[in-house]
Amino acid sequence: MTHTLHRVGSDENLREDFVVLAMPSKDINHEGSGPKLQEIIRICLKEGAVKAGDARLGNEYHQGGLETMIRNIEDRAVVTAVFNDQDKLVNALKAIKAGDFGMSIVVSGLFDRVKECCHAAGQKVHTVNTSLGRWGATHKLPATEVMEIQSMCGHGMVSVDLILDTLDQVKRGAMSLAEASERLFRPCQCGIFNTDRAQKRIEAMMEKV
Amino acid sequence: MQIDQELCVGCGQCVPYCPVGAISLDDTAVIDLDECAECGCCLRCADCPVDALYQQEMVYPRTVRSILSDPLTIATESGISGRGTEEMKTNEVTARFREGQVGIGIEVGRPVTGTRFVDVEKIAQAMAAFGVQFEVCNPTTSLMSDPATGKFKDELLNEKVLSAILEFCVPQEALPDVLDALKDVAGKVDSVFTVCVACKADENENIASYQYLDKAGVWYAPNGKTNIGLGRPLAKEA
Repeated sequence: MTHTLHRVGSDENLREDFVVLAMPSKDINHEGSGPKLQEIIRICLKEGAVKAGDARLGNEYHQGGLETMIRNIEDRAVVTAVFNDQDKLVNALKAIKAGDFGMSIVVSGLFDRVKECCHAAGQKVHTVNTSLGRWGATHKLPATEVMEIQSMCGHGMVSVDLILDTLDQVKRGAMSLAEASERLFRPCQCGIFNTDRAQKRIEAMMEKV
Repeated sequence: MQIDQELCVGCGQCVPYCPVGAISLDDTAVIDLDECAECGCCLRCADCPVDALYQQEMVYPRTVRSILSDPLTIATESGISGRGTEEMKTNEVTARFREGQVGIGIEVGRPVTGTRFVDVEKIAQAMAAFGVQFEVCNPTTSLMSDPATGKFKDELLNEKVLSAILEFCVPQEALPDVLDALKDVAGKVDSVFTVCVACKADENENIASYQYLDKAGVWYAPNGKTNIGLGRPLAKEA
C-alpha cells in the first residue's frame, strides 16, 4: 500500500501532481489485459500525460523508447501515467471509462481534487489509501524540499545524492531544468516521477539559494 | 553489485545514483557490499563509460536484497513487480478490504534509509501481538519463520533492503491501539518507516477510518490513492 502514496508536498504544489495507475487482478481479469493496458496508456498520452510507465518491465529509458515500452506491455502489467493538470486528467478518466476496459484504476493526488475528477468522470470513490507519514528515525531524512522530489519515486530509486548533484549541476549552468528532471526521472522504473513538478521544485530550490 | 577495479577509471559518475550511499570514490569507485541493497540502479542508470559495473552472482540470503530492492524483480508470492501486492488497487474486484475493516501497510526503510530485517522484525512483532495475519501474497511475509509472532528467519536479520512492507487488516475499532503500539516501536528502530491505511468508502463516499485516526491523534496526508471503481467483474461482498 505504498508506491504512488507518500508523496511529500504542500497543498499548492501537489495541485499539479496526479498519477493514474491501471492494473488487472491476478486470476480474476488478468488474461488478455495487456492490450487493454496499452490502450489506457495511449489514452493518457493523447490527453496530455506528462509521463507514462510500465512498472513490470521498466520505464521508457530502460526499454529503449516510449513506443517500445507501450508495445511491450503484457498481461499482469501495472501501467502508470502522470498528469500535471486536473482537466486533462478528467478527460483521460472519461475516455478510460468509455473504453470499458474493466481494469482497476487508481488515481493519486489531493483527495478532494481526485474526488472532483472522479465525479466529473461519472464515478464514485470506492477505496482510499491514506498516508500517515514518516515514522521512526526521521532525523535521518533530508530537508522537505529534497523529500518533495525524492518521494516522487515510490521505490526510492531517486537518491538524495542524485538530487543534490543534479541541483548543483543546474546551479553551475551545466544542466537545464528539463535535462535535470529527465536525469532524475530515469531511475524511476515505474515512470511515476513527475518531471514537470520536479522542474518547478528545482527552480524553487534555486530561488532559495 | 560490484565494480571491476581493473576497468574503473575513477570518474565517479556512478556515485550519486546509489539510493543508500554504498558507493565511495577514492582512486576508483568501490561498493560496500554490506550496505549495497542490490537494487540495480547504478548498473541501469549511471552509464559507466567503461562498463565496470557488473552484477555478481548472488546466493541466498543475499538474493532477498534484490527481491525487495529492485523494482523490476517479480515476486513469486504476488506475481507482480515491486515489493507490495495488489492491496487496495484492485479492491473493487477482490474485496480484500471490506467495510468495517482497515488495511494497514508499514513500509520499513522507506524513504531514504533502507532497512535491515532486525528492524522489520521489531515492528512485525509489535503488530503480531494484536493477532494480525500478515498478507500471505506479500513477499515480506514469506521471509518470516513464524508469521504468528512476526519472527523472521535468523539468517535474514542483517540483510539490507531498500524497504520491506508489512501488510495486514484489523477491525477499524482496533486502529487507535495498533497506532499506539507503532508509536512505541518507532523509538526503537534505526530505520525510517511509512505507515498507511486503506479503507473502503461507504455508499455515500464516507471514509470510516478517519474518525479512528482522529481518535488516535495521528497526522494524515491530504493526498493519497483513490480507487475509482472501474475494475470488472465487481466483487460480491460477503
